[in-house]
This record gives sequence, structure tokens and C-alpha cells, in this order.
Amino acid sequence: MAVAQAPAPQAVRGRLRLERRLSVPPTQAALGRLAGVGVALIVAAVVLALTGRDPFSLLGKALDGTFGERQGLEEMALLLTPILMNALAVHIALRMKIWNIGSEGQFFMGAWAAAGIGIYWDGPLYLVLLVMATAAALAGAAWILVPALARARWQVNEIITTLLLNFVAIQWVAWFSFDIWNDRAASVVQSTAVVQSRMPYFPGSTTLYLSVIVPFVIAAVIFAVFRYTRWGYEVDMIGGNPRAAEFAGIRVTRRIVVVMLLSGAIAGLSGMLHLAGPAQRLNSSISNNYGLSGFIVAALAGNSVVGVVIGSIFIATMLHSGITLQSDGLSVFVVAAVYGLVLLGIAVGEVAARFRLVRSGGLEAVTAE
Amino acid sequence: MTTEAPRPAVLARNISKSFDGVVALADVDLELRRGEVHALLGENGAGKTTLSNILAGIYRADAGQIEIDGVVHQLHSPAQAIAAGIGMVHQHFRLVAPMTVAENVHLGWDATPTVVTRRELVTRTQRLMDQFGLRVDPEAKVWQLSVGEQQRVEILRVLARGARTLILDEPTAVLTTAEAKDLFAVMRSLVAAERTVVFISHKLNEVLEVGDRITVLRGGRRVVTREATGATARELARLMTGEERELEVVHRDTSDHASVLQLRAVSARSARGLPALHDVSLAVRQGEILGIAGVSGNGQSELAELLTGLRKPDSGHVLLSGERLTDANPRRFAAAGVGSIPEDRIGTGLVRSAPVRDNAVLRHYRSPELSGRVGLKRPAILAFAQRLVARARVQTPSVLSTTSILSGGNQQRLIVHREALVATSAFVAMHPSRGLDVNAAQDVQEALLKARDDGCAVLLISDDLDEVLLLSDRVAVMYEGRIVGLFDRRDADRERLGLLMGGHSSAPPDTTEAG
Repeated sequence: MAVAQAPAPQAVRGRLRLERRLSVPPTQAALGRLAGVGVALIVAAVVLALTGRDPFSLLGKALDGTFGERQGLEEMALLLTPILMNALAVHIALRMKIWNIGSEGQFFMGAWAAAGIGIYWDGPLYLVLLVMATAAALAGAAWILVPALARARWQVNEIITTLLLNFVAIQWVAWFSFDIWNDRAASVVQSTAVVQSRMPYFPGSTTLYLSVIVPFVIAAVIFAVFRYTRWGYEVDMIGGNPRAAEFAGIRVTRRIVVVMLLSGAIAGLSGMLHLAGPAQRLNSSISNNYGLSGFIVAALAGNSVVGVVIGSIFIATMLHSGITLQSDGLSVFVVAAVYGLVLLGIAVGEVAARFRLVRSGGLEAVTAE
Repeated sequence: MTTEAPRPAVLARNISKSFDGVVALADVDLELRRGEVHALLGENGAGKTTLSNILAGIYRADAGQIEIDGVVHQLHSPAQAIAAGIGMVHQHFRLVAPMTVAENVHLGWDATPTVVTRRELVTRTQRLMDQFGLRVDPEAKVWQLSVGEQQRVEILRVLARGARTLILDEPTAVLTTAEAKDLFAVMRSLVAAERTVVFISHKLNEVLEVGDRITVLRGGRRVVTREATGATARELARLMTGEERELEVVHRDTSDHASVLQLRAVSARSARGLPALHDVSLAVRQGEILGIAGVSGNGQSELAELLTGLRKPDSGHVLLSGERLTDANPRRFAAAGVGSIPEDRIGTGLVRSAPVRDNAVLRHYRSPELSGRVGLKRPAILAFAQRLVARARVQTPSVLSTTSILSGGNQQRLIVHREALVATSAFVAMHPSRGLDVNAAQDVQEALLKARDDGCAVLLISDDLDEVLLLSDRVAVMYEGRIVGLFDRRDADRERLGLLMGGHSSAPPDTTEAG
């Protein structure tokens, strides 16, 4: 067909352009995140090289320090326990599109309840540990009860309520460790006495505690529940569309409360595992931002328990490598910056996976043909 | 291509566009002349909206050329399109509800003075209204306006920005019959002033009534462009669907059938707490389709929710075969054999992020064949879903595909056949074929007729009077939360129903006895 007008001379041919995907296949989503990590590490490597360090030797040392020896692996697993526990707590609520930002607070309340029993009761080891664990789970659940009811009944935004209760929990623990349960003999000023019943060590280890298996058991249970049970199906349907779930006859309000309580219980239990294991004493700085790390993992992992486990191992490895590299003279700030860069990379990768590149013909290009 | 004496207002040539590898438009030509109403006709997915979005600068074509008044334009944004004289009024209005008409007209418009008083805005708007003959109270807030008035504001907004070609995307879908008549008058006056109106619709009678020329699209290709004079609805339907298929409906006399689903003096409130149903009594008989005609927002949503268990009445009772369904919830209604096609199929009927399989069993997963007390019987669930998808003729790559990738018609097929399995005694269907293409709509309507023939009591709630008249054995009219008329199908006269729907009780409701 003859065209009267000549195409504009500055016509851009075959320009690349982003187009949204209709649906994101899981492999694509995983690849996007992986690519994000890769890009972040490359950026970090370039910056490190420019400041006169050898990024490859640093990476080698980091990997070697964590995976090269048993001691490193155990230290990493020690960090992994609370991170994975908190990530699972956030994850189970996220299955319902509910954001439990308060897992840190529930962790503290769990530790507090466990300490109350552990400091004052010197009974049979496993019985005491069991009671401590139960008390911690209940305390964690109790700490999220009000946000859960408010959310289920009146649609009060749980992000605000759970977040704000973190500060209350930390102050609560500070008060007890500074005053009511304070141990004046302790070298740390604001701290309680040690708990009498300690978590046994993992077989053959003097670093890692037996409690490391707990989050893996919980992860396996969550996986099975959501795959094989009616309850799990119902929770996933509520997460997908609460109105459709209600239409299907699912008791939405009740499920929301139960799931949020479970989330709080897992976070509370994680506080007990940490207290009876590495921490021993209760004070307001026993959590090394575990709640936050767990939250980040759960948010980036999407709807997959397997993703939560892999993500937690990854983050624990990064944190542990940071500690190893500090002994090599790398500043704590550099380590933190790399850590932040990698998380940013994952977040960007996750969004990038929703798009793809297409070559746009452009109107000019075609009329010229 | 013949070049007639007058230069076309818009000439689009060889337009192609695909999304994610799916071809939406292939090599489409469209010529729009000054002073014509050009109807764009086609099923859903035929490419009507894609083509108009390209003309309005919202999408960019992969290939092709657009000439406006003889000059090639590249439309990369709606702003460029409107500068070139093409404006579009979307199906879903883009007005700011809490603001006034005058403010909405001037919002985001270059010609709006930087500093301006309320009074000036009103006078400017008044002047525009006089100029284009579109009258709405300029000081009214948009939320206070009827849908028809809101549409007039949208049209005014586009005209004020200098559009000489106006694209109306399914403008009558939201209007009452009377409002549609007003809109057609506006369209005629616009073309009389040498503007061009593109009228998108899949309602054949409207296209024949108001169109000067008609372009039919099918599967992203242009089938034909022809004069409207001499065209028949049957011929256009065949061109649209590519096949001739007609639903044969035999209306029944059900006066000796037992009442199955009954409402007794039911009053209920809307989600906003306002009274929505007043003292409604109604009985749907076994083996009949009772159609509820009426303009949306007259209590139909509340009625449907009431009969699904999603809403509880303030007073009165819902009965199923004489038994009260008091304090009922959706589970109870489903167990009692009441299936329901919800008004908002995406918002209520489906979990779009879940696989098709999970949606297929949404109402049945509790049955003993599909799950135990705790565990799901996954193989049985998969088989159930595959059977349902096959029976409903849902086109999907797999039952494990995400439901959101299904087209609207396939989503509705899935819902309708799922609910038909629930509906052993009664079936409540709200807007079952709204927005669907001819084929999907017929599948859905066939499923309702089959439920009726199987002895189900079917309540059809629709604001599409054609659909109500096509399917119903009896017709009731709802207005402001009341049943204002109830007729046997043979006494249901379109004009009279239309008057009742519009709130004119001048036609005395000579109601046949309900029961």
C-alpha cells in the first residue's frame, strides 16, 4: 500500500520495551530473585575492587568460613534458628495476606514467659523445657490476640497494631530485666539471672543447640498442612479472596484469628528457643533484629515455604559471613551495606520477573517497509 | 481503498497489536467520516476496545498507521490523541466522586486558568454545557449524579478539550432504556455538528438504531464495514460470531407448580446500612425461571445476597420448600441446594490467584468424595475439576493454570457450571451474561434453561431487559427495593416494564398472584 507521508527521519526501529506478563511462572520468579542477588554481588564486588580489596578472595573467605568447616556451619545454623522461626511466623500470616510486623515483639514476650519459668523453676530438664516452650507460645499468641480480634472483627489494620506492640514488648522486657528479675551479680547490668534448664546441644556439637530442628519441623508441617488439608486450602482461599471464601461458606473471621494466633505462637516459641539456647539470660537486647530479618525473608519469599527456608539459610549465611569477614578487617558498615544491597537486589528481581522485554516495531518502522 | 470526495476524519490502516504473543488485532483498517456515528461491533475479545485504545493513544500499535485529517500522527499518549482531536469515554468513568461537576470538567486540563474561583469554574462549565447541549448541574457533586448524568460529564470533558472524534466504549451498558435514548439524541446532535462518534457495543438493536455505518470485528480482524441502512440483526449476529446459533426458549405456564424459594415480607439493608429492600414477598416456583427486571441499584444486589446467605434480613423470612432458612450463612444455603451466580463474578465468585482446580471445588471440597474430616483427597479433587472444566467447556491450558488467565467468558462458564451442581432445588443468577460475548452468553443461558428443565426454581436478576424477556417464564419488576409488578411472560410488555423500571407507576401494577 502506497503511503503518502515519508516516515519521520528520527524513527527508532525495533526499540526494546518492557511489557507486563499476564502471569509469572514460579521458575521465572525464582530466576528473577537469583539474578537480583547476582547483580547486587557484582555491584558490591566492583565497589570493593575500586577501594583496593580483592572481592574474589573475600567471597572465598566468606564461603569457606561458613561452609568450609563444621564450626562455621554450626555458627550459621545458630543464627538460622531464630531467623527461620520468625520468617515462618510471618509467612503463615502472609498466606492470608495478613502482615504480622510484630514477630519481634512476640519473640520478646515468648522469651519473657520462658524466663519467668526457667529462672525460678529447677525441675526435670525436659519437663521444664516443655513448660517453657508452651508458656512462650501462649505468650506470643496472647501478644497478637488484640490485633487479631481487631482485624477479624473490625478490619483494623494489623500492620499498625502489631508493629506498635513491638515497642511495648521491648520496654516490658527491659523493665523486668532491669528491675523485677534483675540479677545484680550479673556482669551485664540490665539482665536477669540465667535460666536453670538449658537447651541440650545438638549431637556432637558444643555450639549449636538441639532447637535447630524445631523450625525445620514447623516448616515441614506448614508445607503439609497447606498441601494436604482442608484447613490449609481454606486459608489459602481466604488469602486469595476473602469474599469468595465467605461465599464458599468458609468461616473467614475465625480462620483469621486462628492463623494470627499461630503466627504469634511460632514467634513466641522462637523467643524461648533463643533464651534456653544461646541467650541464657533475658535482657532487652537478646534479639539481633531476628524479627526484622525473618520478616524480610517471608516478604521476599512469596507464598512458598520452601522459599522461606532457602531465604533464611541465605540470610543467615550472609550475616555469618559478615562476622567472619569483620575478623579480616572488613568494616561492619561495609558488611551491612552489602547485606542491604543484596536484599534490594532480591526485591528488584522479584518485581522485574513480572515484566519481560519485547521489541516494539514502532509505527514508523512498519510504514517504511 | 477507494478515496471518496470528503477526506476521512480518521483513517487507520493495517493496525496490528498483540499482547503476550496473543494477537488482539491483525491488519485492521478503519475509516471514520465527519458527521457519522460509526458503530464498532464485535464479541468480547474481538478487538473493539483494543482498537479504540490505540486510536485514543492509550496503547501503541505494533504496526500500522493512523491518519487524522490527512496527516499521519503518532499517538503515544492520550494527551497527544486529544490534541489531534480524538477523545474517548471509557466504560468505567474516570471522575472524582467527591468533587463537583465543574471541578471534574476542569481537572487536568491545560485551558484551566491557574488561579480560578469556584464561580468562574461554574460559569465556564455552564458555557461549555450550552455550547454542546449537555446539561448537568455544574455545582452538583459527582457522586450525587445518576450514571447517565455522570456519562454526560465525561462526554463534556472530552468535548471541552477539543475532541472532534468521540469514542464511546460500551456507553449503554450502564444506562436505563430512557437514559440510552437521551444519549442517542446527544450523539445525533454531535454528528449534526460535523463531529464523528464511534459507538462501541455488542447490542445489535442499538447499533442498528443509532449507527450510520457499522464495522464488524471478529477475532481481531475486520469482517466488514457497511451502511447501517438495510442491515438486519440476524445478519450482523452471524458476522460477529461467524456462526448461526439461536437459543430456542419455550416459555412455560407454571401456575400449578409448587413454590420452592420464597421471600415473606422481607426487609433488608445495604452494605452501607441504608434500607434496600422493603417488605418484599416473592415466590419462585419449581421448574420456572422468574426474571427480575430493573435498573441496577434498586435492591437487586441485596436480594441476591439474601438468597446466598451473605446478607441477613432485618425482618421477614426466606423459605425453601416451606422451611425457614433463618440465621443462614452461605454454607447452609449451599447445603440446602441453593446455587448462586454472584453479581460480581471476580470479586465474589472466584479466587483469581488460585489454580482453576481450587476454584472448581470451591463449593464442593467439603463433600465426602473430595475430603475427609481433615485431609483433602487430591486425586479426586483433580478429577472433579477436570470433569467440571470439560462439561462447562472452559478453555484453559490446564486445570492447574492460574484462574486469572482465563477470559471473562471462561471464568463465568466455570462459575455457572459449578453453581449448577450446587443448585439442586433453587438457582439464583445475577447478571449471568453481563459483559460476555454472544457465545459465552448463550452457554450461560443454556445452563440456566437446563436447570429449569431439571426442575430447579431459577431466579434470574438482570438489568438487561432483553435477557429477562428471553429466558423468563414470569417477570417481576423491582424499583427502589420493592416489587412493583409481576407478570406472566405472555403479559409482559416491554414498554410497560420499561415504565415500571423507571419508577412510573402510571401503568398500574396489575399483578398476578405470587404463589
